[in-house]
Amino acid sequence: MAVPVSQMYTVATYVLAQKLKGVKRYPLVLMLEPLFRCNLACAGCGKIQYPDHVLDKRLTPEQCWTAAEECGAPIVSIPGGEPLIHPEMPTIVKGLVERKKYVYLCTNAILLERKLDDYTPSKYLTFSIHMDGLREEHDIAVCRDGVYEVAVRAIKAALRRGFRVTTNTTLFDDADPERVRQFFDAMMELGVEGMMISPGYSYQKAPDQKNFLKRQRTRELFERILHAPKKGWRFNQSPLFLDFLMGKVDYQCTPWGNPTYNIFGWQKPCYLLQDGYAATFTELIEDTNWDNYGTGRNEKCADCMVHCGYEASAVNDTFSTLRGFGRTVVATLMPTAR
Amino acid sequence: MELAFDYRGDVTLEVTSGEKIEGYIFNRNAVASPPFLQLFPKGQPGEMKIPYPDIVAIAFTGEDTASGRSWEAWVRKKESERKAEAARIAGEAQARGHL
Ligand code: SF4
Ligand code: SF4
Repeated sequence: MAVPVSQMYTVATYVLAQKLKGVKRYPLVLMLEPLFRCNLACAGCGKIQYPDHVLDKRLTPEQCWTAAEECGAPIVSIPGGEPLIHPEMPTIVKGLVERKKYVYLCTNAILLERKLDDYTPSKYLTFSIHMDGLREEHDIAVCRDGVYEVAVRAIKAALRRGFRVTTNTTLFDDADPERVRQFFDAMMELGVEGMMISPGYSYQKAPDQKNFLKRQRTRELFERILHAPKKGWRFNQSPLFLDFLMGKVDYQCTPWGNPTYNIFGWQKPCYLLQDGYAATFTELIEDTNWDNYGTGRNEKCADCMVHCGYEASAVNDTFSTLRGFGRTVVATLMPTAR
Repeated sequence: MELAFDYRGDVTLEVTSGEKIEGYIFNRNAVASPPFLQLFPKGQPGEMKIPYPDIVAIAFTGEDTASGRSWEAWVRKKESERKAEAARIAGEAQARGHL
């Protein structure tokens, strides 16, 4: 199974419409964080370090739908925390699907098998499973034994029931390229629709500021992982973003491409940094000093190459330049030529 | 104010009325007129917006939830300590009905 043509068509027409309308800053993926509570506590995770009374807060379904409508992005990614903990998550997802948003529900999958009955398979809904490697690497990354096996069981169950399933993987500086390649084989063998990968980067408030990849090391690592890609590997992300990770092309960050909304409001400027919050999406776009962020513009951004900043840049390249479009076509039709 | 905004724990504000407010500061705007901060008060629903001029003192009274949670700190721990911590976290999640 691959990304439905309707999704590709929706994204392509959306981007082209923004360009025709002359919109300078448009969102591509809404990062919707309805809660920060998680049932894991991965060392270094920057999303769960809050006092209990903050971890107990939840966005309501109405707040989630309003945010999606306000920002207008065709794709809504729901990370967290662990979204499946939210008692109203099925309602939130249903409302987003009704609004024809392509929803990526990001989960560590611990609760997934038990909660599958609460959801209906749809081309608009994808379970994006947090998988940081093969059994050994994944269980170490999430600081709990047995999670890999639980996730694999849940992936199989979701696929059996006709859900779209992808994986999302964050790679840290201790990643072994050969093991990562074996991990890609294993995920493809499971039958997932595609994989998403991103380098780890130190969230501003994350406790783990040392284990994340530096820019040059990132390029070398991804070059070793992605060179001569196997025919069967499918990535659920822009091929130009993968080229960017391998150092074949350079981009400036597009932080407004993946705007983040959570219990605090619209996060300035991106999913990783917390330089304050805006009450509305319009305020976020208009009042953020975007020139302060991105490669070479801010020390907090110095080594960042994460998908939530640079994937939108890659997508923009596809639709802005003939060269970018050509590269995308070649990388899509002949991925092994990479 | 910036330190309090970056702090991953509750703080206690003393305001000009003499009241003490404990909570988590999640936003601040130093260029607004007047500048203000926003916090989630502990034990109360909703959020509060407090102008800077009303703040007399800030104390870092809650636990810093990010402290000691780095990957390195985790790796430095003995295997038995890691196992015990993983079991404690799983136990807490179970108690909340999240496992
Ligand atoms: S599963 Fe995700 S949100 Fe939960 S602790 Fe791990 S990295 Fe953080
Ligand atoms: S480079 Fe972009 S995505 Fe990365 S931290 Fe800076 S603003 Fe955020």
